[in-house]
Order: sequence, then structure tokens, then C-alpha cells
Amino acid sequence: MTAVIRTQSLSKWYGNVLGLSDVSLEIEPGITGLLGPNGAGKSTFLKLITGQIKPSIGTVSILAEPIWNNVRTFAKLGFCPEQDSFYEDMTGWEFLTRLLSLHGFSAAEIEARAERALRFVELAKDKDRLIRGYSRGMRQRLKVAQAVAHDPQIIILDEPLNGLDPLGKRKVIRLIKDFKEAGKTVIVSSHVLPEIEALTRSIVLLHQGKILAQGDIHYIRDLIDKHPHKISVMCSNPRRLAARLVGEPSVQNIQFGPGPETIVFETRDRDVIFGFLPRLVVDNAIDVEEITSPDDNLQAVFDYLTGK
Amino acid sequence: MTTGEMNIELKDIRFHYGKITALDGVDLTLGEGACGLLGPNGAGKSTLLRILLGFLNPAQGEGRVLGYDIRKDQFLIRRSVGYMPEDDCLIPGMDAVTFTAYFGELSGMPRQEAMKRAHDVLFYVGLGESRYRLLETYSAGMKQRLKLAQALVHDPKLLFLDEPTSNLDPQGRTEILDLIKDISLKKDIQVLVSSHILTDIEFTCSHVVILNKGKVAAQGELEALKEIQFSLYELRTKGETAGFLKGLKDKGCRVEKTEDELMKIYMPADLSRTEIFRTAALENVQIRYFIKSRTSLEDLFAETVGVD
Amino acid sequence: MPIAERGYAHWDGTFVERRFPWWPITRLGIRLAFKRKFFKPVFAISLAPAVFFLAGIYMSERIEDFQFMFRGRNGNRLLGVDPAFFKTYFTFDTVLFLMVMLMVLAGAGLISDDLKFNSLQLYFSRPLRKRDYWLGKMATASFFLLTVTLVPGLLFILFKIIFSGSFKFLADYPWIPLSVAGYSLLATLFFALYTLLISSLSKNRRYVSILLFLVYIFSDVFFGIFYGIFHEPAFCLLSIKCDLQQVGAFIFRVRPQYDVPWIYSFLVLTAICSLSGFVLKRKIRGVEVIK
Repeated sequence: MTAVIRTQSLSKWYGNVLGLSDVSLEIEPGITGLLGPNGAGKSTFLKLITGQIKPSIGTVSILAEPIWNNVRTFAKLGFCPEQDSFYEDMTGWEFLTRLLSLHGFSAAEIEARAERALRFVELAKDKDRLIRGYSRGMRQRLKVAQAVAHDPQIIILDEPLNGLDPLGKRKVIRLIKDFKEAGKTVIVSSHVLPEIEALTRSIVLLHQGKILAQGDIHYIRDLIDKHPHKISVMCSNPRRLAARLVGEPSVQNIQFGPGPETIVFETRDRDVIFGFLPRLVVDNAIDVEEITSPDDNLQAVFDYLTGK
Repeated sequence: MTTGEMNIELKDIRFHYGKITALDGVDLTLGEGACGLLGPNGAGKSTLLRILLGFLNPAQGEGRVLGYDIRKDQFLIRRSVGYMPEDDCLIPGMDAVTFTAYFGELSGMPRQEAMKRAHDVLFYVGLGESRYRLLETYSAGMKQRLKLAQALVHDPKLLFLDEPTSNLDPQGRTEILDLIKDISLKKDIQVLVSSHILTDIEFTCSHVVILNKGKVAAQGELEALKEIQFSLYELRTKGETAGFLKGLKDKGCRVEKTEDELMKIYMPADLSRTEIFRTAALENVQIRYFIKSRTSLEDLFAETVGVD
Repeated sequence: MPIAERGYAHWDGTFVERRFPWWPITRLGIRLAFKRKFFKPVFAISLAPAVFFLAGIYMSERIEDFQFMFRGRNGNRLLGVDPAFFKTYFTFDTVLFLMVMLMVLAGAGLISDDLKFNSLQLYFSRPLRKRDYWLGKMATASFFLLTVTLVPGLLFILFKIIFSGSFKFLADYPWIPLSVAGYSLLATLFFALYTLLISSLSKNRRYVSILLFLVYIFSDVFFGIFYGIFHEPAFCLLSIKCDLQQVGAFIFRVRPQYDVPWIYSFLVLTAICSLSGFVLKRKIRGVEVIK
């Protein structure tokens, strides 16, 4: 797959404050999660790839063209910012149609697109209310609407689920997945890692202005050598299981708990362990209730990489 | 607290703002343990909190919070309740110790006691090193902890946390959630968490209350609510599964494969789950993930709020 | 118990019922005022007129020593300490202006900062009545205002008695302490309510500061304009400064500057105070603790 967004040695300083340093990556169609601690450079990165600021060093190209002042490419970009900055005295409809008119569509097209976008985010019945009267969730949905109304190829969403109730979040998550199905490129930045995990397995982790990791969550997890994989088993007789595992060289660490029926052990060779686990369990009459991998998720990857 | 005495008891609470009905007959009893308060926007959560804090008199109905009447003993309620608001709130020009002690005093603590307690509480929430710094210099995570500190300074018996992880980066989120979990393990502090992030509620709470349209749509122990009656297991496997699936079907199970390669096995009542492992051992299949299926909180929410 | 438990510990103290539950608020307000930039110098300057007038009392008693300053004029007439002296101090343009300055520095943020930084939620989730919150803020403003009104007033009386060596002054004008207290109370209440009214109107402390100035100054400017056009002294009611001066004149039994009954000025001031009470009640109720 060809890269949709490509950056080369991208760096940005504000005076002597570091924003981003030497970020080279390629983002392909589909959903990419962007994460990092506060101050890691996420907003700088998003501003650079949407052409809002100029890099100090390096290049950004979208769809094989440089982004700076590239009006043609802007038309293919949709951005949903984190902050709320609306014209409070406009109605949702006015706001959306005026933004659409900046794209140069005909009046009929503007109306059609606005209708479709508002229906998409389920704001159709509130379109003639002043934005001042909108709730938080409605504002968030309006932001998403303006990001997609012009049918962009690339959609960038900064904390899109902020302030939404669980049902609102579901709707937006479904929307984002629909974009992926439609072949678009979506970048979602969020602090709530379980929510990113619900969307995608492909992430970019920024830390102190640099890329710390990029790719599939589970693949990255495999590469973190320092922390062997944890496997948690909840069963009827954890000590018997532990006794059988102690002699196994690929088991590095066994811990009891939390709770009286759980053991957690660590291994670098999951294939071996999972290979004989079913036989072990059956032969020793152990009734297994649960098997999970407590640190094979995004939060664990984040914690391990940012060095907690 | 003697057995049988609940921390919160509400009976048939009704409230309207003019013509809008905010609460339409709410019955609630909460005992020990952390409880999550969920609901779509506009469900009546804030009104309920206001009544519990003794700000509003319900139009109808009665209740007791910590044994105090919600109409007659509002002051006494507020003395024993800690509130951690959603928005940022601070007083510029103060440092954390002065701030926390000040609000301790306003809760009715003697001045010296408030000061002593402020130091203790600030250490507990992790602001020990920065407690003499001015509040304007605090980061988002620190401000959140400060809010928690001022809610705890007067040793409340009931703690309300409103969106405790909003605006926090992943590290900040885990730290606050760990603190909340730690506090709620103290048997004599009732914690009520209002949040839209369901994974947070699942991590910290043992009970939930779901509000919708002014009524309690669901209430109870989280585990019990999520329990499904029939035996359904979710698995992830590695290896050739054709034989495995056939083996299971031969034993009378029904198997479904979802997107995302999750396997769902519906077991007949008389079959032991060890048979799954026996079949796996026979067919050389690794079982890497095995849990008894429960409704997710998200699905429970969607079901009870009855939408989509 | 060999090793103490770490982590969250309960507090085993008892709560106190304070006589003045609003006192911590006042204490904090005063402390924060002193931390503001320029406050200390302005506070010092605002005490300067009192010091000068005190010196005047001293001079009037020792008029012989200062005869050289007057060269023949009747020193006693010039520097007599009588009710007019008090009225002059209390209604001195500069003193009134300095009171407004004090309020700008110490009082502008009293409510507007709480609105801006959302701290009202923290106040009212405690066993604190709205009345206590209001009293605490009023007391902060009043503290500074009283140091420029009541305190100098009482000191003048005291020093007059000390320097003249007799209670003659009090015998001549037994109502003076009452007038001092009365006027101080009036001016303090007025300026405190005025400040809290404007402070509750905006979240931006800078706007409030500007507004505190402007309303005061422009009320006088408008009076000047209308008086210049129509030559009708009744327009003095427009000016806050003149209203205070009219009432002050009455309280100290001195002829007022404008030929307008003092009661109207008093009513204007009362109206502003009532407006303040009304707005504050609505504002502080309107900001609910949980959105």
C-alpha cells in the first residue's frame, strides 16, 4: 500500500522549546492511533501535517505532494481539533454551510453535503439552533461533521470522543470505522487508550518529540524484550498448576494473586507454554476459568515504553 | 456502620426545572463499595448529585444520605461529603497546602487540624513534593490530584468524583484510577464515580447505577449485571482450528467466529469446560485467551438506555 | 505498633462550630490582596491623607509654634478642628478616590476570580451558606475601607483629646463619634457592595477593575457635563462622589455643597446597594455547583 502521508526528518522548534524532532514516518490508509504523554509533540505533529505551521527541518507530503499552502491538498483533508472554538451566534447549519462554501462548492452541493453530514452525526434536528445552546456532545459531533462534510480523503481527529456519553462514543467509533471501510485514511489522537484499542491496532507513539514506536500493538509488544509476556490463569487449583510450571524453563516468573484462584506467570516463549497448556490442564484435572494476557494491551505497551 | 444501614437511600425522588422533568421517581440504595453513575447526557445525573449534596430539595420523595435527611440535614451532609468537580478549579496566588487547608477549614475543621491534614492528604495523592508551589504552575494531572485532595481533606464518608480522568494523559489516568481504587478499598468511604469512560468505571467500581430520562434504568453489582445465564465462552486460538471446531461440535457445542478472530463457544449445560481443553490438546491447538463471556458494560449501557 | 501504616489514614478530630464561619474567607481575601502587585504602596498612600490630617490636628493645638506659617492670619480659624474638619477628611476627593483604588486592587477579583476559576463549586460543596460566602467577601472589602474611614476618624478624636489635653472637644460635639461611625459604615457598606456588584458581573478581573474606575469617574463626569449645560444642581445626584459628599455633610452637620436635600443622595446610594444585593443573590444562586 502506498503511503498517504509521508514525513521526512520532520522537526519543529518554538524558540528553543522542542516540539518535534526527526520524525520520519509513513501513514497508510486505514485507522492510525496517535498517542503520547502530554508534551510529547502530538499537537505539533498534527499542526505540521495539516499545514498549519512550517517545519524547522524536514518535509511533509500528503498524497505525494508537499502540504505547505497546497490548497488542492487541503481540500482532501478534514481536521477535527481538540478545542472548541465556534462562532457561538451562528446556528449549526450556518456554521457548516459557511465552512463548506470555503471549498468552492455550488450552493446546491453545499446544502446536500451539509444535510448529509448533519444526518451522519445525528444533528439534523438541531441544525437551526444557535451553537451557544449546544451541549458538549453536540459540539463534538458538529466538529466531526465539519471535518467530513467535504468528503475528504484524509481525516484527522484530535480527541474526538472527549465529552461524549457512551452512546455518543459508539456512534463516532462506528463512523470512524465506516471511514476505514470506505478506504479513507484516519488519524485519531487520544489519551484514552482503551478507546484507541477499540478502533485500531496500528499506532504511532510519540515521546519527548520523537517517535518511540510505530506499528501493530501486538507486534510492538512482542519486541519489548525487557518485559516478558504475562499470562494470567484463573483456575480451581492454581498451586498445582504452578507446581507443574515451575519445572518449565521457559517460565520466568510465577506470582500468586490477585485473588485466591489466580496465578500470573511470565514467559518469553508463548508458543511453548500455550503448546502444552491444554494437555497440562486436562491431565492434572485443573478446571480453568480464565486465561488472559494482562499486559498485551496498549496501556501496557505505553507504560513499558515510556518507562514506568 | 451497622448492617442494614445504607450510605444512600432515596425513595421516589422527583424534581422538575420548570416544565422539564429532571428526575422522575428515582429509587436508590447504595451500601459499601465503589459505585459508578452512568447515563446519557441529560439523564438527570447532575440533578441527582445536587440533591445528594443537599443543594436542591426534591419536589417529591425522601431520602437519607449517611443517615442524614436530605431535606433537613443538608449542612450535615455536606460536612461528610467530598466533591471532586469535573472542571478545573483553583484559587490563583495560593499554594497547594494553603488551598487544601483553607477548604478543610471551611468544612469545619479547626485551623491547625486542617493544616496538618492538608499535608497528609497531599502526600497521599502524590503532590507531596510540589505542595509549596503556586497552583498556577500545576500541570493538568496535578490539578486533578489537587481536586481530589480538597475532596479528601475533611475525611468524608462519601466521595463524589465527577469525570475524574478528564484531560489526563495515559499516565495521569492510571495514577488517578489507582488512587480511586485504593480509596474505595477502604471499607468506610463510599465512592461514587460519574464518568463516560466505561473502562474507568469497570476498573474502579463494583456497583453501577444507570440513569436514563430521570429514572434508574439499571442498578446493581457490576458482575451480577454482566452475567449471562447460559454458558458462553470466548476464545482466541493459534494453530489449525478445523479439527478443533469439529471436535467441539461433535460434543454438542455451537461455535461462532466473529470479526477480529474471536471464537464464541456455546456449551450445552452438561458439558464441562475442561472438554474444550481436551479437544484443544488433541488437535494441537493453543488457547491463548479464554474467558466466560459477560455482557460488556458498553452493551449493558446500550441495552438499558435502549437506543440505536 | 512498630511500623506505622502508610497510605490513606482517617482523621479522628472533631469539627468546630465557628461563630463566624466566613472568617477564613476574609482572612484569605486580605492575604491575597497584600500579594497583589502595587497593593502595598497604594495602601500606604491611602493612609497618607489620614496622616496629614493628624498632623493638622497637632498643628492646630500648637498654633503658636506654627505662627510663622500664617503671618497674621487667624490660625485658629484656618486650622480649627471642628466637625467641618472631619467632613473635609471623609469627603475629600482624594480620599474617596483612594478608596476606589483600594477596591480595584483588593476587591476586583473577590467574586470575578471565583467565577473565572470555578471555585464556587468548592465553596458550596461545603457546609457554607451563600450568606456566609457573601459576608466573607464583604468583610474583606470592608477591612480595607474601614482602615481609611473608621480608624482615622476615631484616631482624630483620640488625638484631638490628647493634644488639646481636655475633653472639651467631645463636650462641644458629643455626637461626633456617632457621626464618624455612621459615615464610615455608610461609605464602607456602599463601596463594598459597589465592588462586589461589579466583581460579580464579569469573569475577567481586568474588566472589573476598569469598570470600578469608570463608573465612579464617569458618574462625576456626567454630572459635570449636565451641570455645565443646565446649571441645575440636582444633577449632582448623578455623581457617586457628590452623593457621598452630600450625605457626609449632613452627618457632620455642615452645610452641603449643593442645594439638594441630602436625603435624595442617600436614596441614590441605597438604590445602588439594593441593586448590588439583588444581583449578587441572583448571580451566586445562578451558578449552580454542578453543571
